[in-house]
Amino acid sequence: MANNDEKRHPNEADRARSSQDGLVRKYAEEADVCIVGAGAAGGVLAYELAKAGLRVVVLEAGPFWDPQRDFASDELSMQRLAWQETRLVAGNDPLRLGHNNSGRGIGGGTVHFTGVFLRFHESDFMTRTADGVGEDWPITYHDLAPYYDKIEREIAVSGPHHFPWGAFQGPYPYPVREPISANAQLFREGCDKLGIESVVAPLAILSAPFDGRPPCINRGFCNQGCMPNAKYSGLIHHIPKAIAEGAEVLSDCTVTEILMAGDRVSGVLFSHQGLMHRQMARVVILAGFVVETPRLLLNSATSRFPQGLANSSGWVGKAIMPHSSHDVYGRLPEEVRLYKGTPVLALTQHFYETERERGFARGYTLSAHGSRPVGMAGAIATEREDKTFLWGKQLRETMLDYNMYARITLVGEVLPHPDNAVTLSGEKDENGMPIPKVTFSYQENDRKLYQHAIGQMNRIMEAMGGKPEHVVSDTAHLMGGCRMGNNPEQSVVNEFGQSHDIPNLFIAGASTFVTSSGSNPTNTVMALAARTADKLIEAMQQRDV
Amino acid sequence: MAKHRRYPAYDVWEEHANWDVHTRQIVGARKMPQVAHSYLLPAEALLLQAIVSVLVDDHRLEVLTFVVAHIDESLASPVGESQRKVGVPEKKQLYRLGLAGVEAESHAEFGCEFGALSAGDQEQVLKRISGGSVKEQEAWTHAAAVDFFKKLLHDTVQAYYSHPLVWSDIGYGGPAYPRGYVRVEKGLTDPWEAKANGE
Ligand SMILES: Cc1cc2nc3c(=O)[nH]c(=O)nc-3n(C[C@H](O)[C@H](O)[C@H](O)COP(=O)(O)OP(=O)(O)OC[C@H]3O[C@@H](n4cnc5c(N)ncnc54)[C@H](O)[C@@H]3O)c2cc1C
Ligand code: SF4
Repeated sequence: MANNDEKRHPNEADRARSSQDGLVRKYAEEADVCIVGAGAAGGVLAYELAKAGLRVVVLEAGPFWDPQRDFASDELSMQRLAWQETRLVAGNDPLRLGHNNSGRGIGGGTVHFTGVFLRFHESDFMTRTADGVGEDWPITYHDLAPYYDKIEREIAVSGPHHFPWGAFQGPYPYPVREPISANAQLFREGCDKLGIESVVAPLAILSAPFDGRPPCINRGFCNQGCMPNAKYSGLIHHIPKAIAEGAEVLSDCTVTEILMAGDRVSGVLFSHQGLMHRQMARVVILAGFVVETPRLLLNSATSRFPQGLANSSGWVGKAIMPHSSHDVYGRLPEEVRLYKGTPVLALTQHFYETERERGFARGYTLSAHGSRPVGMAGAIATEREDKTFLWGKQLRETMLDYNMYARITLVGEVLPHPDNAVTLSGEKDENGMPIPKVTFSYQENDRKLYQHAIGQMNRIMEAMGGKPEHVVSDTAHLMGGCRMGNNPEQSVVNEFGQSHDIPNLFIAGASTFVTSSGSNPTNTVMALAARTADKLIEAMQQRDV
Repeated sequence: MAKHRRYPAYDVWEEHANWDVHTRQIVGARKMPQVAHSYLLPAEALLLQAIVSVLVDDHRLEVLTFVVAHIDESLASPVGESQRKVGVPEKKQLYRLGLAGVEAESHAEFGCEFGALSAGDQEQVLKRISGGSVKEQEAWTHAAAVDFFKKLLHDTVQAYYSHPLVWSDIGYGGPAYPRGYVRVEKGLTDPWEAKANGE
């Protein structure tokens, strides 16, 4: 379908637009900027660009959630916040997608993310130079620092007065969270005993009222969507502000193809309630996350761009990275009650930087992490590191002790590898789009790193007074697939997210990451988006794109 | 069953008046599951219930009925399965083949249907399937036994640990909006939480 030129100028779409399907359009003729995906990056861009006076249209595949009506204090039913469309997975370590790492709907992944809000370290932007692994970014920490400042202030990140690792030492704009959960307390005590420094986690969760929103009530359901609106999401912050600045945000609109006019992008084709529509725009920004952005580029191939758009380098879809995110569950003699409080309230980056004697490059963050029954039982039953299953009497008796368990989680750096990739499969979805195939295998350095981390998590668990009982093999977050770089032969976009091949096509979000770091990614996603916004505003004012 | 239920006097549902309306509806519906199925054939549903009972080591009909109804609903639903390993059949097909495989395995090893086996023999059949060391190879040519077992166990456990009776068994505080938690630190509990001394 991708090479069908007739489909590229569909008259049906024009008719559909004027039909009575309930889609009211503000910039139906042409927008200045069309943003695909209203997630972490899409939200920041929509707000910044609309504020600058540009005519912005955001197209989002999922719904426009109403937290009070659509969210619930329930794990099973809230899996609907995820991108649940089937994706094929392959490789030695096939990824668990869906709720585990992909959001769908206004706010994207931020609606059900945990809210841990960290900066990358200086070394994260130059792993090739510093450690001879991975790849250097085309920017340094200092290029991004002002944007980290801006985003953290703008959403009132809470955190400790002093943060002991990396270039940013604090303080955070909002006071540190207090009190912290039993699991977080025990974790900090355990770390103390071992001489490992720890902190209360910096969080995109309010510790005091802000912007008409209340502080966190420690309900503990951050991964099911925050009902009181204490946790940041694009849904309750950037998108409403963008709309107030004049942006048009269309939900339930899935972009299926990027339209070209010669060497430039002219707009996108999207499906709404089974009908196809077009949105024309001077600039298109793809912010659909790590799987869907490459899928769209690959699916929009033309005779001029036979390998897919923005893909003269061949790097579209390549070098995707999750974080290794193994868990250790340990049983304590006292009650921990993992269901209470914000899930992550304490962490350490003691093991963050490369130490040669450990036998691997790069490092990781460890967090004390809450857990609810579906999450814990599902993980210890079917995702065990030793690849066995836990069921029957053993599972039941373990879970009868649910309240006695503590949990520690890894956010471990995974190095980029071109074989870990998003490609198109032969199967199609209901829009006729090829289903993406996501291939992932850990490499040797990745495995050594997470094994080291499991050892340290076991040690800390013991220092907490617990007996490590279950090691769960998991991954978190996704990054890469359209990496940025200075060399057009080795990367998809430049340091601002602009395609090397097509000057009015931009990519924003986690897909532009060059390496994964050992930190939760969203602060970096949003800071990069703010940097792209600045650049784009300047360029559009000078008619330079 | 009550090997060591820590909180015998605790019933999480007693608190439902303090939950928001949407959550109350969702959790309340689990207490009255549908018995009619949309995708599973009657014999498949019965077999699935017997398997689920072994997987979660529980015989309470109201809980098992909910788990089977939930799985049936997900099989009939157009919503995707988030991810599927290359080479593994679609979930609908995987269940159909897998359930037939369990029956075939039961016949191959014990000469009768799964539902008629003793608890120990049922466990034995599932153990073989979970390890992929099946006797009846032919039944598993289109769906690997381990792939089916993993999906089945995953779906079963997710539904089972979503039932309010099971929440009560394990002392889980359950839904927590609008009230949240005040006492989150070590050793502290809010008044409505499960107490080991059963107050
Ligand atoms: C359970 C969970 C916990 C997490 N916890 C943390 C944490 O504690 N800290 C942290 O830093 N990060 C965390 N993350 C990661 C975080 O959510 C992501 O890093 C972030 O959301 C990525 O931003 P993005 O803008 O690249 O993509 P997203 O936020 O995923 O947004 C992409 C959007 O694009 C839409 N879209 C995709 N394709 C199309 C299309 N064709 N047409 C229209 N729309 C489309 C999607 O529906 C989605 O809304 C967590 C994620 C999950 C799932
Ligand atoms: S713990 Fe706090 S931030 Fe998380 S869902 Fe509850 S109220 Fe919202």
